[in-house]
Amino acid sequence: MSTLTAAPALTPAAYVPPSAQFRRRMIWLGSCALLMVLGGVYLKFKPWMLFTDFHHLVRLGGEMLPPNLAMLWHKPALFKTIGETVAMSFLGTLLGGAVAFVLAFFASRNTAPHRLLRAFTRLGFGLERATPNFVVLLVLFIAFGYGPFAAMLALALGSVGLFGKLFADAIEQADPGPCESVASVGATRLQVIRYAIIPQILPSVVANSFYAFDVNLRAAIALGVYGGGGIGFELQLAMKVLRYPDVLALILFIIVLITGMERVSDFVRRRLIQSSESLK
Amino acid sequence: MLHVENLTKKLPDGRLLLDRVSLKVSRGEFVGILGASGAGKSLTLRCILGLTKADSGTATLHTEACGGKSYDLLTCKGREQRNCRRRMGVIFQGFNLVKRLRVLDNVMIGRLARIHPLRSWLYGFTDAEAAEALEALRRVKMDMHADRITGSLSGGEMQRVAIARAIFQKPAIYLADEPIAALDPSNSLGIMKLLAPLAQETPVVGVFHQPEMTARFCTRVVAIKAGRVVYDGDPRLSHNQLQDIYGDELMQVLRPAPTTPEPAIAESSRSLPVLANFA
Amino acid sequence: MLVPLVIVSAWLCQVRFSGLWHDLGKGLEVIRFFFPPDWSSLREMAGPALVTVLLAALATPLGVLLSLGFGLAGARNIAPPWLRTTARALIGVERALPEIIVLLLLVAALGVGPFPGVIALAIGSVGMLGKLFADAIEEIDPKVLESVSCVGATRWQVIRHAVLPEVMPAFLANSIFRFEVNIRASVLLGAVGAGGIGFELSKAMSLLEYERAMMAVLVTLLLVFGAERVSDWLRAKVMDGGRLA
Repeated sequence: MSTLTAAPALTPAAYVPPSAQFRRRMIWLGSCALLMVLGGVYLKFKPWMLFTDFHHLVRLGGEMLPPNLAMLWHKPALFKTIGETVAMSFLGTLLGGAVAFVLAFFASRNTAPHRLLRAFTRLGFGLERATPNFVVLLVLFIAFGYGPFAAMLALALGSVGLFGKLFADAIEQADPGPCESVASVGATRLQVIRYAIIPQILPSVVANSFYAFDVNLRAAIALGVYGGGGIGFELQLAMKVLRYPDVLALILFIIVLITGMERVSDFVRRRLIQSSESLK
Repeated sequence: MLHVENLTKKLPDGRLLLDRVSLKVSRGEFVGILGASGAGKSLTLRCILGLTKADSGTATLHTEACGGKSYDLLTCKGREQRNCRRRMGVIFQGFNLVKRLRVLDNVMIGRLARIHPLRSWLYGFTDAEAAEALEALRRVKMDMHADRITGSLSGGEMQRVAIARAIFQKPAIYLADEPIAALDPSNSLGIMKLLAPLAQETPVVGVFHQPEMTARFCTRVVAIKAGRVVYDGDPRLSHNQLQDIYGDELMQVLRPAPTTPEPAIAESSRSLPVLANFA
Repeated sequence: MLVPLVIVSAWLCQVRFSGLWHDLGKGLEVIRFFFPPDWSSLREMAGPALVTVLLAALATPLGVLLSLGFGLAGARNIAPPWLRTTARALIGVERALPEIIVLLLLVAALGVGPFPGVIALAIGSVGMLGKLFADAIEEIDPKVLESVSCVGATRWQVIRHAVLPEVMPAFLANSIFRFEVNIRASVLLGAVGAGGIGFELSKAMSLLEYERAMMAVLVTLLLVFGAERVSDWLRAKVMDGGRLA
């Protein structure tokens, strides 16, 4: 059991002395810092603005206080906008998830009808993920007009890329044993998918859906700012007309909304897991 | 050198964990502390180190090296406590090394209290200190592994590195908390063979589970039972004495140490954190 | 359970099926405008692309340092309870706040420019990295920290010589990953006033220069894919090397 003799023989001289280590570290740090400074110069990045313009930040903070929380009862329409935001991310997740679920079978090595199709679908997912969703949104605005519908579709499209990859990976990791046994009784390819693969990937599909919902909720707020409606749009409007107490109130609502929805989705997920375990 | 007197530790409900434990360690001694599990052996060491607060009693460390200064171990705080700890080299059951550092860096940690905190942050140790640490590693026959990542060592090797750290620390006393409990017999023997000569220069106090080891290597044995010192003297204990100390546990203790595999320590490749959840 | 939810959300999202085909046709029509991309504008895109990368490159280290502070303050084994609670609460708030809102606020106070962009991205990193760092630090075996403090080291020495080395690989890997995320985010923020390729893109869109916009999209894709590759490569290197000079 003693590994003293089995260990790779290193001569004692092989160690890097601290001074050399220090020098190497300094060179690394120094060059990184230099690059950053050069980058900052190119950007005309002025870090001292934090101090010279600090009074602007203080002024803004002063203008925002106290938050106009009264909005909540003076403006019932606010609830609708909050609902819009949640609805956007919910529907976007659902729609995107459904589409991705189907497409994922074309993107997995073990279920794809053809190699080329797989490569093609994977490429599509990759492009989808890489395209910033506000670009998609801008295009959708032209087609469907401003509003939550376009934003929802943008979220759905974005989810296809994210989900598609995750689902396809889950399918590829599915245990081939059950598939072979189902196939050996003469099942068609679709039946194999239905009875051997889907039961295996369902837990990861559910877990990823909840995760994507959380991501999409944040994205829905951001898309709102670009004109997608919902509370993000409301916030941007309040900014434009310089009603800062409203802005702060809306920010507080957003924080509550996101943390609250995180709790809710966590709770529902746990319930789902519990009920699926009790079924077994 | 180490003088513990009437060390007492109570549970909140008044039960005594340590009941007036007294202990005296002087130069050239290798003291083994024996006792059934839960008797308070390790707790005694933890109290001496200030890791657990004792309720009453005193513990003093006299150092001859630095002008005969003595340290009150139980009441010291902050800087004074760091000064105390710096003079005690500690070896743990679980080695407790920083697994991702090189072996040499782990040894050099022993000197942290001697260098200016600012230097330890910005520069680290000097080449001379590294050479000295390598010397300490040579003493435990680990100098070949100075440049390895500590997490990739085996248990026995890690314990050697821990001893090297304690040696490099140049303490006034070594405290070993079950140093061989997590090791297989051959490694245990190796560690004991390292500790025994150390004791000739600087006293060693160790908590052990194996009476046959203490009988072979220690110069004195102190037995603790239910928080009380019940024996202090010759390391060769008779069967009756052992029966008295261990009670029902005796059979377990006397059985040759089980040759279970060492706990998995080499976990050099811990998996990547789940990044996807934070996109 | 799911059906009424879907119906309510569909109503809220103003989903309409009449004219959907017509709109879809219109959408496809629009996509045609984007082709072919305006290759001649490629040269003009280089500058903004660099700006986007630099925004992320400046923001990531800043954000990492900030997150390190929050991570240490939010770790049970380092910070006292009151500090941990405060730090964790701040991290939670930050996580709930999309970067774009931080940017809007900063722009409202300081005007457009790279400064608000970098700061917004850096603050945005704290929500994710701060939590990851704090969790990673809390995972360290407390006995290791105890053993280092047993040689008489100060709390800061323990941080430097035990905590940091132990979390370094996770720390670097997450920071590199955050750089990738920041590239995406900086495109997004660019459209609101941080400059860079995002700004170029939204400008082209609002001027109805679709071919030019397509070029910007292609450059964006290149940046994002490139960042993904680089980050994967660096992460693999950091994780399997384990040896960090």
